Amino acid sequence: MPDTLAQNAAPANAARGTARKANIEAHSAVPIPTPPGLAHKLLTSLVPPILAGILVILLYAMVRSSLPPHRQFLMPSAQGLWDLAFAVPGFVPELLSRSVTTMAIAVTGLALSISFGCLMGIVMFRFLFLEKAIFPYLVVLQSVPVLAIVPLIQSALGFGFMPKVLIVALFTFFAVPTTLLLGLKSVDKNILNLFKLQGATWRTTLIKACLPSAGPTLFAGFSISGSLAVIAAITSELFFLSGEGGLGQLLMNSKIDFKYEQMYAALIAASVLSIAVYLFFKWLGNRLFSHWHEASEKRQ
Amino acid sequence: MSADFTSTTAPHSQAPGTEAQAMPGGNAIVFDNVSMTFPDGTEGLKDVDLAIAPGEFVSIVGPSGCGKSTLLKVASGLVTHTGGKVWVDRDQLGYTFQDATLLPWRKVQDNVELLMELRGFPPAERARIAREKIDLVGLTGFENHYPQRLSGGMKMRVSLARSLALNPAVFMFDEPFGALDEITRERLNDEVIDLYQREQFTGIFVTHSIPEAVYMSSKVVVMSARPGRIQEVFDVPFAYPRRPEMRYQADFSELCGEVSLSLRRAIEG
Repeated sequence: MPDTLAQNAAPANAARGTARKANIEAHSAVPIPTPPGLAHKLLTSLVPPILAGILVILLYAMVRSSLPPHRQFLMPSAQGLWDLAFAVPGFVPELLSRSVTTMAIAVTGLALSISFGCLMGIVMFRFLFLEKAIFPYLVVLQSVPVLAIVPLIQSALGFGFMPKVLIVALFTFFAVPTTLLLGLKSVDKNILNLFKLQGATWRTTLIKACLPSAGPTLFAGFSISGSLAVIAAITSELFFLSGEGGLGQLLMNSKIDFKYEQMYAALIAASVLSIAVYLFFKWLGNRLFSHWHEASEKRQ
Repeated sequence: MSADFTSTTAPHSQAPGTEAQAMPGGNAIVFDNVSMTFPDGTEGLKDVDLAIAPGEFVSIVGPSGCGKSTLLKVASGLVTHTGGKVWVDRDQLGYTFQDATLLPWRKVQDNVELLMELRGFPPAERARIAREKIDLVGLTGFENHYPQRLSGGMKMRVSLARSLALNPAVFMFDEPFGALDEITRERLNDEVIDLYQREQFTGIFVTHSIPEAVYMSSKVVVMSARPGRIQEVFDVPFAYPRRPEMRYQADFSELCGEVSLSLRRAIEG
């Protein structure tokens, strides 16, 4: 069949002066695909992360078994984690209360950087000369290694709650004003023209056009800051070991006391907190924007 | 309805602003020797003289980049011209952009209410007028949809309803249907003509489709290549309401041809 067709097509090609041989094939149809069922969806969405998780655990076990016995304390077994950490009387309540302490630092610092960051973003958006004045120093602030100025912060603010909050704020600040400014500046120019034609004030335009339009971008910034906040809080605690501290203090204590199982328990708690903050902002962003913003919808 | 006649002259000769003045010759819009030079020195418009009578529907065609949109922006006050005078009642101005320019986070109903909201209409009145105009553009039942879920033509209808809500005396259209497919475009042409007859506004319609310009307007203005000036004005003799069959009549094609030749001369200078 393809051969005869090729012959029929040949004269036309010859007339055009090309030597190309027609290559016509019959393309068969495929049956209408059936929509994937629930089982298939679960399989495709759950199986890959579970498999990857098993792989990581296997790798962990392999590395652990290859360690000489006197160094195996660096990688506790599941049994050890249970016996020497989670099953120890009073340990889980301690872990919880330390988590609350760390979260308090993280959330306060985050609240500080979100409120000041939003204010600064709006001010920079309003006055171009302030943007020109402030923005380079935001970058400078971001480039200062926060850990290197911890001694300075200790000297200035002492060893209480506030210096740790300040460290969290320094870690999480940058993403807030920068993403807000980016969002505010990317408003559709014609939407601004629409407001201008009605003689709307700058304030009205900000509230009804710019801020809603910047929302999704700003929440991307919140997610970045949020996932940094818990890490920053724990890091700050490593420098403040007196008093009743949070997870960071537990990390240091468990090293001093040679309780590596408890150190791992603290690490697990820390990442749970970090993921929780990240998921919170993701959930809130979806709730606020998924009905109109495509990118947030896709994340669902 | 308070008249707000705007008169702005070149910078330095007089402070830009508004002053109450009589409209020359009872027109709705007058451009008197209007020029627009951009800060980088390019001349967008040069010595534009054009008078549009109340109730007219004027289309503006011209080579791309000739300043058609600039003319509308000057008339609406979005940009201020640098020479000459413009008289226009901006108090009740309808304006549609090249795209629908809806606020994606607002439902259809809230988008149609937007301009009234900015003008401080009370909520109940706003809601009532919005429902009325949504019905007028045939979108009843879609009040609670977000723009994302609407087709291009439907979005444009929402945009029209939003402007109509202010009961515009002058309605400016800046190439509104350029991005739509031809079938939708022709349907919207008919709908705009319907609205024009019903709502009695003065229309200025910028387009680069000659049949669209001739089909809709009582006058077609051909602009020359940059710097934009008026090349030729054609009166369209056909009576309203216009019917789609008109597009296939000989005299319609003939007029389109004349406009097309004039446009060709405008491009060649």
